Order: sequence, then C-alpha cells, then structure tokens
Amino acid sequence: MTQSHSKIVKIITKKDLDTFVNNLIKNEKHNVVGVKTKGIKFVFGPLENASELRLDYDVTILPPKKYFLPPYETLMDFSLNKPFNVKESDVAKPRIIIGVHPYDIIALEQTDKVYLDSQKDDFYKKRRDNTIIIGVDIQKVSENSFAASMKTHVTESGFDLMLTYLGDKYAVTIGSEKGKKLLEKYAKMISATEVDIKKIEEVRKNIALQFKKKLKVDKEEWSSVLAANYDHPIWEKRSQKCMECGSCTMVCPTCFCYDVKDEVSIDLKEGSRIRTWDGCLLRDFTLIGSGEVFRDDIGKRYRHRFYRKGNYLPERYGFVACVGCGRCGIACLPDIADPCDVINDLSHFERSENTGKFFIKQKTEVAEKGTIHIPQSATIKRTERLTEMEMFFEIELDDKKPLGHIPGQFVEVSIFGVGEAPISVSSGPSSSSSFEIVVRRVGNVTSRLFRMKPGDKLGIRGPLGNGFDVKSFEKKHLLLSAGGIGIIPMRSLIQYVVDDENRKKYKDITILYGAKQPSEALFIEEFEDWCKIDDVKCELTVDQCVEGDCWTGCTGLITTLYPKIKLDRYDSENTVAIVIGPPIMYRYVIKCLETLGIPAKNIFVSLERRMKCGVGKCGHCQINGVYVCKEGPVFNYNDIKDLPEAFE
Amino acid sequence: MKTRVAFFDFSSCEGCQLQIANLEEEILDLIEIVDVVSFREVMKEHSNEYDIAVIEGSIMRPMDEHRLRKIRSRCKILVALGACATTGGINKIRNQWPVENVIKEVYKDADIKDNEFFNAFQTKAVNEVIPVDYYIHGCPINRDEFKHVITSLALGKKPVIPTYPVCVECKKNENVCLFELGKYCLGPITRAGCNAICPTNGSPCDGCRGILSKPDVECVMEILQRYDLTYEELKSRCTLYNTNVFNPKDGMTLVRRSKND
Repeated sequence: MTQSHSKIVKIITKKDLDTFVNNLIKNEKHNVVGVKTKGIKFVFGPLENASELRLDYDVTILPPKKYFLPPYETLMDFSLNKPFNVKESDVAKPRIIIGVHPYDIIALEQTDKVYLDSQKDDFYKKRRDNTIIIGVDIQKVSENSFAASMKTHVTESGFDLMLTYLGDKYAVTIGSEKGKKLLEKYAKMISATEVDIKKIEEVRKNIALQFKKKLKVDKEEWSSVLAANYDHPIWEKRSQKCMECGSCTMVCPTCFCYDVKDEVSIDLKEGSRIRTWDGCLLRDFTLIGSGEVFRDDIGKRYRHRFYRKGNYLPERYGFVACVGCGRCGIACLPDIADPCDVINDLSHFERSENTGKFFIKQKTEVAEKGTIHIPQSATIKRTERLTEMEMFFEIELDDKKPLGHIPGQFVEVSIFGVGEAPISVSSGPSSSSSFEIVVRRVGNVTSRLFRMKPGDKLGIRGPLGNGFDVKSFEKKHLLLSAGGIGIIPMRSLIQYVVDDENRKKYKDITILYGAKQPSEALFIEEFEDWCKIDDVKCELTVDQCVEGDCWTGCTGLITTLYPKIKLDRYDSENTVAIVIGPPIMYRYVIKCLETLGIPAKNIFVSLERRMKCGVGKCGHCQINGVYVCKEGPVFNYNDIKDLPEAFE
Repeated sequence: MKTRVAFFDFSSCEGCQLQIANLEEEILDLIEIVDVVSFREVMKEHSNEYDIAVIEGSIMRPMDEHRLRKIRSRCKILVALGACATTGGINKIRNQWPVENVIKEVYKDADIKDNEFFNAFQTKAVNEVIPVDYYIHGCPINRDEFKHVITSLALGKKPVIPTYPVCVECKKNENVCLFELGKYCLGPITRAGCNAICPTNGSPCDGCRGILSKPDVECVMEILQRYDLTYEELKSRCTLYNTNVFNPKDGMTLVRRSKND
C-alpha cells in the first residue's frame, strides 16, 4: 500500500469513478449531491447520474455551507394552542457531497470551531456527523480566487475521500475510515504507485501556480494590518460604493451568522421557529427591540465584515475567516467586497503588534447544557404593572429547579409564535425555583408579555452571559450607578449584596439611581428599604419633573449626584463601581468615577446589544471582536474601554 | 370577538385581492381567525364596522381621498396592499406628464367637465394621503407575506417586512446573477419579501416592492460598464415602478440616502 503524507492513496479510472458515483446514487441510505452546472455557473445539487458531475468546475455559486446551515432551517415546531408542545426538528437524512474543493473543506473546519465549541449547535453537529465529504483537488482555478495565497488550495484534512485528477485517471486519497469503507464497498480500484504519488504532488504544486489573484500580505499578517488601520479612510471610501445588498455575506463560506424568526400557520394553531442566513452588511443586523441600531453607518458595517474575517475570528479561534474562494468578488456588483483587494490596498500601511486589541478573553467557559436552541418550559407566577412602560414578572421553571444565575446574567424569553428576546434577570440568585424579570414594552416579545397572565407558559433559555464576579468585590466599597431601566439588572446585584448572609462581605454600599421622571422610577419601595440597611446609602434623582408630579427628591441628571459623595470615605482603590444604564450615560458617569479617582479596573459596566442566540454563534451582539452574549453583558471597563464600538 | 377585516379597492387591477381570494381553502382558515366584513371580490355583504382596513390601489382623485379618509377614521389598523397602494405602483408612470395632458390623451374630446369621476390629480400612494400602519408590498403581493401580516396582526404582533434587498433571497436560492447574463436587475436595491420570484425565474427585478436605498451614481455607472450594460437598460428597468428613482423628465435622480426608510 502506498501512502502520501501517511494517507492511503488508491487509483481509479474515470469510468470506474462514474460507476462508483452511480453506485452511491443507487445506495438509498444517502442523498448524493455533487457539483453540476446551473446555466453558465456551477452549483452543488442532487445527482441523478454520474454524468452530471462536473469535477472540472472553477467555483460554485454557493459553498457547501448550505448543507450544514441551510438558508432556511426549521429549528423546532410548536403548537400555539397547547403551550409548550415543542418538537425538535428532524435533521435531513445522511448525505454524500462529491466534489468539494479544498478551500470549502477548510471553511467547514473553521465553521466547526465556532459551531462545535463548548456550546454545540446540535443541528449543525448532526449534519456534520451524517455527511460524507468527497473532495476534489482544483482542476480549474476561478478567476477571482486567491486560495493559493491563503494556503487553502490544498488540504490534508477535513475530507473522507479526496480525488485528484491525473489526466487519464483519478487518485483517491483516503481521509477517514468512513471514506475507506465506502470506497471498498462501491469502487473498483488499484493501489497507487510511487509515480502516482509524485504526480499528485506535482498536480497540487501546479494548481498553486495558476492563481492570477495574489495577496501582497501573508494571511498571518492580516490581523496586524487590520489592527493598525481601523480608522483608515479606505473603509469609508470603498463603502461609498456599497449597495448594501448583502450578497458578499450570503455567498461566503465563512459567513455563518444567522437570524431566527417564528412563523405560524394561517389557522394560528401550529408554528415553526426558522433559522435563516443573516449578514452583518445589512442594516438591521444590529437592530434591537427599542429601535436602536448599533452599526448604523454603512462604512462601519463594511469595515466590520473585514475585521471579523481578518482580525476578530483569527484572535478568537486562530484562523483567518477567509479561504480565498473569491465568491464575494464575483457576487459584488461594484467589486468592493474582495478581501484580497482590500488587504492589498492596505499592504504598504503600518502593522500593529497589538493584534488582540479588539478582543477580550471570556472569563469563564460556559459548560455544555443540553441543546442550545430548545427553551425550557416555565410558568408566569405573578405579574405587576410597574409603570406605563414596565411590567414585572415572577417566573418559575417547570422543572422546579432554581435558574442558577449569578447577578448580571440574562435569559432568552421565548413566546412561541412571537419569538425570543434577551431579558436581564432582575432578582438576586436564590434557592427558590422562581426568578424575576422586568420588561419594557418595546418589541413584539415584550408587547406580548404585557398581555400575559399568571399561569401562562413561557420558554426560557439560560442563564446566559457573563455576570458580576461578586466574589472579587468582597471587602470593597461598592458604588452602584443605575440609569433608567439599568436599575432592573442592577437589582439582581443589589439583592445579592444586601442579603443578610452577604452584606458583611462588602464594605459600605452607595446606590445612585437616575430616572427620567418620577413616574418612571422603578422599585421605589425597595429603594427605601435598601436605605434602611446599615451602611447602605441611596440617592435617587429624576432628570425632570412634569406638572402634577409629587416629587420631593433630587432633580437633575445622575451625574449631579457624584459631587455629593464624600471622597474621604472612599478609598478609591478599594471601591468597585458598577454602572448600568442607557448607552449615552456611560461616558458621563465614567468621567465622574474617574474624577473620584476610581481606577478603570475597578469599574464594571453592563452593555446592551442584540443578543439573539446567546451562545456566540449568530454574530448580532458583537462589539468589535467581543461577543456581548458570552464575554458580557457585564464587562470590566478596563477590558473594553479601548474597543471603538463599545461606547460610540 | 374576532378582529374584523375589511378590504377596499382604489385605482388598481384588484389583482392583489385576487391573490388573497386565491388562497382557496386557506380562506377558510383565514375566516376562522378574523371576521371578513367587506371584500367586494368574494362577497356581497358589507359593514362599516371594522378593525383592520386593507387598501388596494392608488389614490387618483379628490373623491378617493375623501373615501380613504373615512376608512381611516373607522379603522384601528390600516394596511396598504400591493404596489399601487404602497408606492403608487404603475399608476405613477403617468406622473411624468402634467395631469391635464394625461386626461386629454385618454379622454380626447369626451365631455367630462365637472364630472368628479374624471377629476384626476397626480397619482398618490396611500401614505401620501393618510398614515399607513403596515405595508404588504409587491405587484402582485406575495401570498405568504399576506398570511404573515394577517397572522401577526391576529396574534397582536408587529409584522416583520424585510428591510434587506432581493439579492439576499436571490442568493439563498442560488440563482445565477442576472447581471452576469447581461440583464439590469433592480434586486440589489429593492425590498425583499418576494423570495426573489422574478430573478429565480429568469426575469430581472423591476423593483415592484419599492426601493430601499438609492445607490451612488458613480457606482451605478461603474456597474453598467462592468457588465456591459447601457444607461437605456437602467432607464427602462426603472420606469415601470420606480419613476421616483429614475425620472425620465429630470434624468438620473440616483442619490445615496444615508438610511433606509
């Protein structure tokens, strides 16, 4: 038996390859798909006969990601009449994909790193497990491809079988036991000779020479080039031509962000939760329930796409999330999407050694917790209308177990037929099976919640995200600043630290709370109770009073409260400051904290973004290279103060 | 009580209501979740008591405006149905000429003086007369989108109408890009939601669902050159539904807008 790079290689004639493929097609267990023509282009599609197979293709319109993360995919079916009758969706039957080029195989291996991390995507995993990949070495190089520069024009892994065209016959490199068995069962072949192995190497070397498009910057350098040129005019300039069509992200093998929406049947009895491709080039990608869009400017969205590929994912996972297939360059009408062109344009500008400046390491790796998509069943125990816009809910998980959260974490609240929304937990950790949330009526899920009553069923995923590291706050003074509905997540922390058992672990506590107007102030009674606790000082202010308000407290922005803090009481080094509020508040409050001499490393903030999946996959909540759903929502200010997108 | 829905038609072919009538057996499910109290195309009963008014057609005359205002005052939610209602649709083609000339061209010497039925003004979309709550775009509408809007409203949630362009759906369908076949397609700037039905079947997008963002002129010119297309092709593609993007009288009015509306 002859081996290439310690892999077994066989030789198969062109005719016998056809027979092999036809045998596979006849084998009913698998759907057999392969590269075939579609008009003037090539696509992966179902094969009826080996004669359709075009292993001499240059590039397909869509990469094979469509078989692992389909453009539209049912995650679950549910019944609207019987609450919590959820059926997890079946995943397609086993599949064999024939003719995958090395760069697409490498793209799948990259997707694995994201989708098969500690929070595995079950649907993706099932498809990966029941798919056999028969790759083929490139025979014709696509004009737009620069795979050789990305070193993705050949691969040693990620396939079950790899075909290499040797002129009059094919070499088959065996990549897995599954592939070997398939070959033995269905193909007539002979062992490869030393000459054949040499020829394979020659063919592969020759492929590299055929690429017209070349990078001027090694892919290992992308991260440092991008780190140095975040504010380069190229982003604004090139994006002026962008039509915001999103095509570049749709056709990309390493763009795997998604959106999820609920669809219901016209009789309102059944529904499905559908996952579909989304792209960071599209404006509503970062839209949240309240209407805020976090990356509104096309220049910033355009830049984000390249940074995700060339800096954010490389820093997080260690791979450049571009395989040089050139599909985006083909799909982009004004021809501005090709990373090769962009990076080459930047090639003679500086590099930065600080490549990781847009990324922070996750504090605690979240343990695998069953499926990431199917929520747990829960019941509303109690509701209370707090203000015109806010409503309080006590929720109990139906398994009667405590939620097990730490202060600052959030849950995805799910209403079947309406959707999911990320909601902060508002109660402190407790051994009770219920927890509390307060929602502001802004989007579809929260509006629907407003109409729900005790006894109604909900879905809960979580707790999710990084909460407050309460242990590290021990023996410190605490200065808590909440603005507006920031008091809702802050309450989970306050309840914890003022709890009889925990109170003594912390020094004195100051709670500052600024509401827009008296009628919008939340938890006033509790606020008064907190004031009565030893060494807990509370200050409440409203931005303004309108006629008819009965208000004897302070008026003015929350920033007016800081000068009242007696500095001498505070050993600023020993004070932990926590800030939660609307985006606009952070800059001003943090300035006040700095004036008080509190170092950045002692300041913690909780940020709001569009947390859709909650498990670092869908891409919506990114602040530069940081996932708010995983590394946040609670951040140490020192870690994120230099992230350009954090406090824009 | 079930939500009461009434359908009304103004200047249109009534083809969008026909799309609803064509739901066939699903109509039975529809009337399970809502009370249809007025729908000229399929029933003779009519009531002036309704919660949701669905308006098909453009507004062409003072008497239309008057009728539309009355409908608005009676309903809680008003939905514009189809391109004629949502953008003015093909009825806006005639806005490139003075309305007097149009009337003269059509009615020649007929005696229409002081007849309010012929008292036309420049075509208006529904939202140019009264506020519209939700839009079901297209010429004709996409039945699935209609079902999405109706079920959403019945469930008390806000329907989600795509704010991204047809290219997104077209790419998901893995179509060969029509530009590569030498056709000028409005897909990159037209609101999706039709599942890219025209490009998927080989016809360039005519932009019937409305334009999302007007691209940079320089960029359009480059694209024309890159794909060996002519300005004439762009012009003809825009005249059907989007004379507001390309006005034959004023020439190119393609100016980038910073935000989608």
